[in-house]
Amino acid sequence: MNIARETYFIYTRSLKAWLGQPALVISTLVPPVFMFLFFGTPLRGMTGIPDFPSDDYFAYFAGMIIVLSVVMNGADAAFTLLTDMQSGYFDKLLLAPINRFSILMGMLLISGTRALAQVLVIVALALALGVSFKGGLVGVGAIIVAATVFGIATACIGVIVALRTKSVQVTQNIQMMFMPLAFLTTALMPKEFLTGWFKWAVTVNPVDYVLVSVRTIIIVGWDWESILPGLWVLAATTVIMLTAATWTYRRATA
Amino acid sequence: MVEVRDLVKVYPSGTRAVAGIDFDVPRGDFFGFLGPNGAGKTTTMKILATLLRKTSGTVTVAGHDIDADTKAVRRGIGFAMQEVGLDDLATGRDFLQLQGVLYGLSRREARRRADELLELVGLSHVAGQRVGTYSGGMRRRIDLAGALMHDPDILFLDEPTVGLDPQSRIAMWEHLEDLNAKGVTILLTTQVMEEADRLCRNIAIIDHGQIVAGGSPESLKAEVGGDVVQIVLNGSADGPDDALNEKAEGLVRQQRYTDATNRVDGGIAVTVKNGSAAVPDLVGLLHDNRIPVASLSVARPTLDDVFIKYTGRTIRAEEATGDEISKLMGLRRR
Repeated sequence: MNIARETYFIYTRSLKAWLGQPALVISTLVPPVFMFLFFGTPLRGMTGIPDFPSDDYFAYFAGMIIVLSVVMNGADAAFTLLTDMQSGYFDKLLLAPINRFSILMGMLLISGTRALAQVLVIVALALALGVSFKGGLVGVGAIIVAATVFGIATACIGVIVALRTKSVQVTQNIQMMFMPLAFLTTALMPKEFLTGWFKWAVTVNPVDYVLVSVRTIIIVGWDWESILPGLWVLAATTVIMLTAATWTYRRATA
Repeated sequence: MVEVRDLVKVYPSGTRAVAGIDFDVPRGDFFGFLGPNGAGKTTTMKILATLLRKTSGTVTVAGHDIDADTKAVRRGIGFAMQEVGLDDLATGRDFLQLQGVLYGLSRREARRRADELLELVGLSHVAGQRVGTYSGGMRRRIDLAGALMHDPDILFLDEPTVGLDPQSRIAMWEHLEDLNAKGVTILLTTQVMEEADRLCRNIAIIDHGQIVAGGSPESLKAEVGGDVVQIVLNGSADGPDDALNEKAEGLVRQQRYTDATNRVDGGIAVTVKNGSAAVPDLVGLLHDNRIPVASLSVARPTLDDVFIKYTGRTIRAEEATGDEISKLMGLRRR
C-alpha cells in the first residue's frame, strides 16, 4: 500500500531529526528518570500504611511514571508540525503526489516512538531498582504497547490544537494542561486513600483508568477485573482522538 | 503546458487577489509574471501548483485539469517557493532523497538523482550538512534541486532570487537558463525587471489581480515607444540657465524625428524612434545654434518604462518597506 510506504518515509525523516539532536533525546528521557527517583525515594515509607496495595513503592510508582511521561509529551508532534508550517516545508510535503494523511501518520508515529523509548528506559530503571513485574515478560510487553498507543492518542490532542490555532504559544500552554491530567490520578496513592473532589476528579479522569491497568500488571499480575476498564478507555480514547485529529487535519489541509 | 482561463481567487477576507486572468504558457517557454507585492503573482502560482483552491475559472497544467487530476498535476510540476520550505534539521542529501521517494522514485534512483543534482547546483561539498547551516544562496539552490528531483516538465518559481547577493543571483539565473535550454518549461514570478528581461521569453505584467500587458520583453519595450536621448547642456558654473534649456528644447522639438521632449533634472529628455541615428543630427543642431553640450546619452526603453506605462508607477514605489529595510539592515551589519 502506498500510504504505508509514504508514512514510512515521513516517519524516517522525523526520526532522523530527533535522533540527530542528542540533547533532545536526552531531555525526553531524563525527566522520567528524575521523577522516578526523586518522587519515589522519599515516598517509600507509604508502603508501611495499612492496606497499601504493594510492599514496593517503586513498583507502585513505576506505572505512574510511565503514564505521566507519555502524557506529558502530548504536544511534541504538534511542535514538529508547527515548525514545518512556519518554515513552509509542510506546504512542500502537501505538494508531493502523496496521500496527505501519511504526513499526519508519520508525525504521530514519532510520538509513539518517543513514548516507546521512554517506557523502555523506565522499565529498565525499575528492573534495576529491583521491581519485579508480576505480569511477567508478557506484562512488560503489554505495558510497552499500551504506553506507545497512549502516546499516539495524546499526541493527537496537541496536533488538533496546533492545527486549529497555528500558534506555538497556545500549544505550549496546552502541554501544561496535560500535567493535571497526569496528577489527578491514583498516581501517588491508591483511590481508597483519597477523599472529596479529588477522588471524584480521579474517577472521571480517563488517564487514571489506563494508569490502573498498567500498575495492576506490574504489582498484581493479570487481574483482568482491574485491567479491562483501562484497556477499554485506552481503545476508546485512541479511536476518538485519531478520528478527531484526522478530521481536523482534513479540514486544515483542504 | 499551462492554460489559464478567467481565473479568479477571492480570499475569505473578501480580498480579490486574482480578478479574472487568462494566459497560456507553451511548452519550453520561459514565462515571467511581473508585478509588485500583492499584485496576485504568488496567489496565481499557488493555485497553478494546487496549493490553493481557486474561486472560479479553469486551469490546465501539463495537460491535466488542476481539480480533476490533482495528483497528475503534482507529479508533473516542480515548485520552488518564496518562503523557501526547507527542513532545517535534514541534511541536504536527505532532504533531496525524501523529496525523490515522495514523488515515486525508488530509493536507489532517489540517491543517484540527489547526487546528480547536488553536483549540478554545486552543493556536493555540503551534502552531508544540515540545511539549517546553509547560506541564503545555498538554500535557494537546494530548494531548486528539490523541485527538480522528479524531473518535472514544468518548474514554478516564486521569486527565485529574492534576497540573494548579485553573484548568487547570476549563478541562479545560469542554472535556470540551462534548465530551460534542456526543455524544462519555466514559469517564474519576479519584481526584478532585470531578471524578467534577461530570462523570460514571454512576460505578463500583473497588477491588482489583473494582467495589464503581455508579450515578449522586446515587443513590450517597443510598445513604449522609441529611444530616449538625454541632453545636458553646458551653462554657467551653477548649471545651465533655464533660458538656454528652453531654447534648446524648442529647437529640438521642431525636428521631424522628435516624438516628444521633456525637461528632466538638469537636462532634456528627447524621445525619438531611433536614438543612435538622431544623435549626430542633435549634436549638429545644437552646435549650429551655439548651444554648448555637456553630455549626451542614448537609453533604450527598459521594462521599467513598460511597467510605468501600464501601471502608472514604478514597481518599487509601493514596497520600499520590507525588502529595502532588510537590505539596509544587511548593509549595516557588514
